Amino acid sequence: MGKVVEISPTTRHEGRSKLVLQVDDEGIITVGNWISVTPVRGLEKAVLGKPMEQVPKLLSRVCGICPVAHALAAVEAIETSIGVEIPADAHTLRVILHCANRLNNHALSNIFTLPDLYIPGTDRKINLFSPEEPMRSIARRIQRIREIAQGITEIAGGEAIHPTNTRIGGMYYNITSRAKQKLTDLAKEAVDIVKTQMDFMIAVLRNFQRRDWTEIGGRQIPIPRNLGYHSEGYLATDSLYGTSSRTSVQSWDPDHLREIRPWNFYMGEVTIDLEDSTYPIGGTTAAGTVVHPKREATNAIPLYNGRPVEVGPRARMALYQGFNEKGTIGQQVARQMEYMTDVHEILNRLDTLNTSGKVLTDPIPPGDGKTLAWATTEPARGTNVHFVRVREGKVADYSMIVPTTWNFPVCSKALSGAPWQLAEVIIRGYDPCVSCATHMIVLDPDKNVVAQNLIR
Amino acid sequence: MAAPLGQYKMVLFARTTDKEILRGAQNGGIVTALLSYALDTGIIDGAVVAAPSRSKPWRGKFDPWRSEPIVAMTRDQLLSARKTGYNISPNVMMIKEATRSYGLDRVGIVGVPCQIQGVRKAQLYPIGMRGVPDKIALVIGIYCMEVFPYQSIVQIVEDHGGVKMESVEKIEIGKGNFTVVTERGRTIQIPLNETRDLEQPGCHVCLDYAATLADISTGSAGSPAGWSTVFIRTKIGDEVWKRAMQAGLFETKPIGQVEPGLGAVEKLAVEKITRNKKTLEDRDFIGTKGLRNPYITT
Ligand code: SF4
Repeated sequence: MGKVVEISPTTRHEGRSKLVLQVDDEGIITVGNWISVTPVRGLEKAVLGKPMEQVPKLLSRVCGICPVAHALAAVEAIETSIGVEIPADAHTLRVILHCANRLNNHALSNIFTLPDLYIPGTDRKINLFSPEEPMRSIARRIQRIREIAQGITEIAGGEAIHPTNTRIGGMYYNITSRAKQKLTDLAKEAVDIVKTQMDFMIAVLRNFQRRDWTEIGGRQIPIPRNLGYHSEGYLATDSLYGTSSRTSVQSWDPDHLREIRPWNFYMGEVTIDLEDSTYPIGGTTAAGTVVHPKREATNAIPLYNGRPVEVGPRARMALYQGFNEKGTIGQQVARQMEYMTDVHEILNRLDTLNTSGKVLTDPIPPGDGKTLAWATTEPARGTNVHFVRVREGKVADYSMIVPTTWNFPVCSKALSGAPWQLAEVIIRGYDPCVSCATHMIVLDPDKNVVAQNLIR
Repeated sequence: MAAPLGQYKMVLFARTTDKEILRGAQNGGIVTALLSYALDTGIIDGAVVAAPSRSKPWRGKFDPWRSEPIVAMTRDQLLSARKTGYNISPNVMMIKEATRSYGLDRVGIVGVPCQIQGVRKAQLYPIGMRGVPDKIALVIGIYCMEVFPYQSIVQIVEDHGGVKMESVEKIEIGKGNFTVVTERGRTIQIPLNETRDLEQPGCHVCLDYAATLADISTGSAGSPAGWSTVFIRTKIGDEVWKRAMQAGLFETKPIGQVEPGLGAVEKLAVEKITRNKKTLEDRDFIGTKGLRNPYITT
């Protein structure tokens, strides 16, 4: 009989989550549970009854890492619900924003991932905070990419974090030709830096893949060849930006989506009986602690065609570009490859942007509340779906399935077969952003989940 | 009372040598000339200025009595914004936008003292102003006694003055009067004590006259007709002014030489500050929380 170990909280990602792992005598994971324990924010409920203009601004606050993704998915979904088409130049600005935000997020993910990796040819891990070379230049390069990405977001979107320029019906402002020129300069500067960064990342990832062991907590942990493999499917709704229920040919079918409760997916009450005080940082949870994953989880479990699906860079590359490498490293490599797509797409879109074009539709209908509309975006971490119904200018229903929500169950499955010490390396492959994956869940007095899902 | 004219390195009379600017200028054309020079030489790459309203036309043109902020990126745009409007133009509103969709890196801004105070506050505590503070390159202040909301101007001109807004050729505030000159040459003077209640209420608790927080502040007070009084206050102001002087942009007169001079500026400043302090004390007396005086130096 195996043992149970808990890593809580997991580190180097956004939000708060934990891992409850059943392991065999060799310390290999047999059942992995990765759950969100970020307190519920209830934004999907908070927006009910609010004027539709406010809602994208509120939902952008789901997360400070990918606010652009939520602001865009929200405006697109609401526009679909009320049946409004936006001018071409407004769409162009949105795509630029979207790509800049992805650029920023991929660079951020590099910061989280690099401390797991080694300088090729050595047994030294990469510490980005070290003043020594090459660490200092790597850190500078990553920060420059983020600066450029945020600079672009700031100009095209009004703010570097929560965009203010997006609105129902298009954008508030088009940018001036001078601003366009500045954006082009920034993106052109990024081309070289990003290429170097991509090559560098792929090199150190491949180097990790070739290693037999990695050091964790002072011990050499063997790296399995199939690190992070899973046999579930992929979901991506577009190769670049996103789609909505307005489009005639649809890349996915929300009718095949079912959201189940964590209650039906995670393990029940268990007692921790494996403890390792050397595990960074500060050791694992003390033996004897009782945990209850299915009750503690604050994330929902979306299934597509009845199974968990992976979303994110690898899913996009697999479905649209024939990329077929499995596992954590494959996933990380796909992420780096998206770097180039993002910069080039910014440049292409800038080329087509007419700075004196109209960016706002008129008039903007209030919505009849008949259809439940949806829109997706494809931000850094994968498919982000927002469902909405707008009636007389007010939001009547709202639900979101965000990237990391999709990834929780599939990643939990992908943990099996790896030494438990590598579980965090696997979850970092998904570049988790846990806060936005946290859902409103209603409990009855007996602590049973009674929340009604909008989509079933 | 803290020095009513604030800190400054130098004060003088000046007017621009640029004939085109001078022709349309209210006084010495200082603001337009400085900004246009700063634009030409790359000290700034655009400036937030008050310009005649584009959204509401007047006599089929832009409305000069209703100002709106614009981000001027060419000399022509600056020229279109000459002359002071007497209604407030929310310039600070545009400063962030100038660094966003306008793509500027070095922004100039013109404003009345309360706006300059806002700009400086934004630089110190950039809440909601991410990335803005270090992009503010030149801050020019204009003296200010009070302003009128646009609706008040309409009321003064149409009700007190008895003329249509469309007939107004010129509005001047000074020497105790609100003066309207019509298209047909009629001059109507309304004493300012009659229009007090129509002023923007905030102006009654305002304790800065000479834009003491600007890099350079200027206005007509104290100077001979066609000239302006100019205070050079900060290091940035000093550098820009010196370069502009070297480029032969201004003729100047030392302040001592001509009447009425600095005394007149000080008199106005003291008058405004004393009067408004009184309002503050009155408010305190009736229990409205008195405003903190940001200019107090002890
Ligand atoms: S009097 Fe003061 S508050 Fe009023 S506009 Fe002038 S500077 Fe601003």
